[in-house]
Amino acid sequence: MPTGTRHAAPNEGNIMFRKPRRKLYFLIFVLPTLAAFIIGFVYPFFHGIYLSFCNFKTTSNATFVGFDNYIAAFQNEGFVRSFWFTCMFVVVSVILINLIAFFVAYALTLGIRGSNIFRTVFFVPNLIGGIILGYIWQQIFNAILKNYSTNLELNATFGFWGLIILMCWQQAGYMMIIYIAGFQSVPADLYEAARIDGANKKQVLSNVTLPMMMPSITICTFLTLTNSFKLFDQNLALTNGAPGVVSESGTMIYQTEMMALNIYKTFYSNANSRGVGQAEGVIFFLIVVVIALAQLFLTRRKEVQA
Amino acid sequence: MATKAKEQKPKKKQTVGMKILTILFTILSVFYVAPVFIVIMNSFKTNGGISDGLFNFPTAETFNGLNSYYTGMFYGNFPFYKTILTSFFITIGGVALILFCTSMCAWYLQRSNTIVCKIIYYFCIFSMVVPFQMVMFTLSKTADNLHLNTPWGILIIYLGFGAGLAVFMFSGFVKSIPIEIEEAADVDGAGPLKTFFGIVLPIMKPTFISVAILETMWIWNDYLLPYLILDKSYRTIPIHMQYLNGSYGHTDTSAIMSLIVLSIVPIIIFYFACQKYIIEGVVSGAVKG
Amino acid sequence: MKKTVIKRASALTLAALMAGSALAGCQSGGGTSSAAGDATSAASQTEAPKGNAANGKVYYLNFKPEQDAAWQNLAKKFTEEKGIPVTVKTAAEGTYEETLTAEMDKQEAPTLFQVNGPVGLKNWKDYCMDLTNADITKQLTSQDFALKDGDKTLGIAYVIESYGIIYNKTLLQKYCDSDFATVKSIDEINSFEKLKTVADEIQANKDALGVKGAFTSAGMDASSDWRFKTHLANLPIYFEYKDEGIGTTDAIKGTYLDNYKNIWDLYITDSTCDKTELASKTGTDAETEFINGDAIFFQNGSWEYGAVTEGGLKDEDLGMLPIYIGVGDEANQGLCTGTENYWCVNNNASDDDKAATLNFINWCVTSEAGTAAMADEMGFVIPFQAAKESTNAFVKIDKDLTAAGKTPVSWNFPTMPSEDWKNGVGTALTQYAAGTGDWDAVVKAFVDGWKTEAAKNA
Repeated sequence: MPTGTRHAAPNEGNIMFRKPRRKLYFLIFVLPTLAAFIIGFVYPFFHGIYLSFCNFKTTSNATFVGFDNYIAAFQNEGFVRSFWFTCMFVVVSVILINLIAFFVAYALTLGIRGSNIFRTVFFVPNLIGGIILGYIWQQIFNAILKNYSTNLELNATFGFWGLIILMCWQQAGYMMIIYIAGFQSVPADLYEAARIDGANKKQVLSNVTLPMMMPSITICTFLTLTNSFKLFDQNLALTNGAPGVVSESGTMIYQTEMMALNIYKTFYSNANSRGVGQAEGVIFFLIVVVIALAQLFLTRRKEVQA
Repeated sequence: MATKAKEQKPKKKQTVGMKILTILFTILSVFYVAPVFIVIMNSFKTNGGISDGLFNFPTAETFNGLNSYYTGMFYGNFPFYKTILTSFFITIGGVALILFCTSMCAWYLQRSNTIVCKIIYYFCIFSMVVPFQMVMFTLSKTADNLHLNTPWGILIIYLGFGAGLAVFMFSGFVKSIPIEIEEAADVDGAGPLKTFFGIVLPIMKPTFISVAILETMWIWNDYLLPYLILDKSYRTIPIHMQYLNGSYGHTDTSAIMSLIVLSIVPIIIFYFACQKYIIEGVVSGAVKG
Repeated sequence: MKKTVIKRASALTLAALMAGSALAGCQSGGGTSSAAGDATSAASQTEAPKGNAANGKVYYLNFKPEQDAAWQNLAKKFTEEKGIPVTVKTAAEGTYEETLTAEMDKQEAPTLFQVNGPVGLKNWKDYCMDLTNADITKQLTSQDFALKDGDKTLGIAYVIESYGIIYNKTLLQKYCDSDFATVKSIDEINSFEKLKTVADEIQANKDALGVKGAFTSAGMDASSDWRFKTHLANLPIYFEYKDEGIGTTDAIKGTYLDNYKNIWDLYITDSTCDKTELASKTGTDAETEFINGDAIFFQNGSWEYGAVTEGGLKDEDLGMLPIYIGVGDEANQGLCTGTENYWCVNNNASDDDKAATLNFINWCVTSEAGTAAMADEMGFVIPFQAAKESTNAFVKIDKDLTAAGKTPVSWNFPTMPSEDWKNGVGTALTQYAAGTGDWDAVVKAFVDGWKTEAAKNA
């Protein structure tokens, strides 16, 4: 997130926007974006927060109910379960994607033959959308699992690893690009100096490469973290939450449903639970904010040290 | 941005380890390309051929020629070319609108550092964090009330919802431009409009491309936003695909495969046309975002 | 541009014409009567809509993807004839509730939508216009097809369908003529016991008969699992309701789940494929097996007629048996006949739109074009007086059975508490078939799941 404030803005008392003209130019330069921003974000955002405290079927008949929706959200077994499933997915996918991307990037910066082709091949899946990818992989996994008399919709374990494989396939290339840029920005004279000091390969890696790569690692970690956390399209297209199994308490639990999909389903499959769905949306948002703040904190600290 | 100190040179001497890596990566690449290859292969097979074995090469019996491409065009009682056109229109229109409006906005916000501008700026950054599920209902409701449920209207929604990242990236760049150039122009009597379009805009070109790439990747593949907002008589490619995925036991897999091929082709062309910019866009987007 | 101007002009002319014929247009019925007259009578006779249909428009959110094209055509015809614009949109498979929920919020909300029965109505009752005095209600052949809340008619059934066990008559006859057959005539199959005997014997002699199994694969892929988690599950529910004398419940007991297990075991054992493969078998697979003569029995419904005849089977090859599960008076059991499709008119629509919508549905079920399209193109049997004789062989079987005094099994699956409930039963059934789950899980999903899901609707 915001890490780019490295250049102090030298614009105190800018002559460009002297008082008399300011309003006119504000209209020309800012208003179109601002108006769309209010329609597309600001108003829906605050309205969403308001509605999370209401019981409503449509926006016109909302009645204020306080924190009831939030209480109901935490009591919603499906929602809580989707949270843990998401966490598990995030941990595994973040680690795997970054490990793969890091080592692929490392190998590709060594200058092996065919680097450019490899880079293209690994990156392109990223440009294909989640819905299409989900469909492709669904076909492939089911064709393989057919030989074992099962399919993705039957076994949550397959669904989970299916999602992981899909995400690695899609995201590793993107992260690889960022890591490659990171490797390339390590000044060559640092390596030179390390070599003169008689450092061996292992020492170079842990004392030169890794510290210099920390910014890239942080960025990639958080990118994969938020991507995985907010995952929706792939989840919808690959498993759509299946299998659905009735839990001990008799509640229907979709075992591979991640948070975003769960909120969507809570919201749109039953008009009685909209308030709860909206509250879950706000909770989801708060979790993402916490992640973003953590990232901000970490990157800021790194910058001071660097 | 990245120092090209260690740009790989193809002629570099290949050690044994590197040769092994090349072989390893070649194998890995095959696995990487396989899914796309499987889709292309199956788009030329009959449905029976696909359900018999997804990984089998087409035989004389299962080869279907271009038939599934013909049936695919109108499969699901909705012309696919209309879907493609809608997707193109929304992506190109949305990206153009975002670039034009947010670059102006970001420049103004940076150069006129009033409280209002600062508030708007920080709100834009803040919006990047908010997951879509939090606003999906209220946003689609607002869009509907304002009749923005057409391909034209949704451009405004994209401008609004995509403004965060774009304003943020443009602002980051504007901060790095020395203000003296603009002041000189102003002394010469050029107004802000002339200064922006004549001087600032050309300097911003790299950021323009980065933002364009990132927003294109987002809008082209976006599913839930257009699904909830667009009137049901319009479909984008992801909506179309999700719609076809399953209809009462009569899924025409081979037609779907052919449509996937058709929707991947523009992406591949796009990649090879702007490969260099895409890589740069991804990197700068990541570093700033 | 010019075209739309002309269209508009003709719409106005038509509107004037229709207003003129409004007085004459009271008698309705026979498909040949003046169509314009029929259409306006809806507006003039009903109390609620005071609007003028000619100024209104219709937005129909259609439930059945397979009928989308037919509806689009019919809508076009109606617009050409009456000048009232009709938009038909179809929700993707399995997303009707979701789509309806989203669409109802919009300003251009559907004026015509559907609910699946009492459970669906509970959610949408506030949006349903009272159709008690609407013309279409009077067109119904029986008031049983009106979906009521108290004494208000809020929904109108627009299609009646039957399902059972479709069989390949030629192949089944071949079995009956064989030496190993215990059952020597198709007519003798009138109980679960007999059905099981036949199926087991077919399975044991499948090579002699040239088939791969008695039943087509009971595919549990999402495109096919509704045949078992919904349609087959209707039977134990039907018999339990009958015992208890109820029409719906918040807590199912599962009295006949053992019978459900027996028929499911039969389906998955005497099958074209190993039961562990069922998870990935699709609806198309089963259909292909049946068309190719790889299996003799195929649980499906009258809507499947088009697909199997297009596949090359002739009317004389086709038959349909009731689904026997070994409960009740099996000798007099008929096919499962009923509906899960009720039209509702959006009460929040403008008066003009309501009038136009009533016009449209009335036209669909009374006019020549409408009844023909519904019968021939969509393959529907419609419960209205002007209905056209269906050419569907399965429908004829149902008629014959009813005429012979058999009691049709009513459709109780619209009272299933939710889509989630069906999915829960479906998963448990599949896992049971694959051997990764036991029958207790099915019972749990059936009984416990019902209770929790029903509570959510309250």
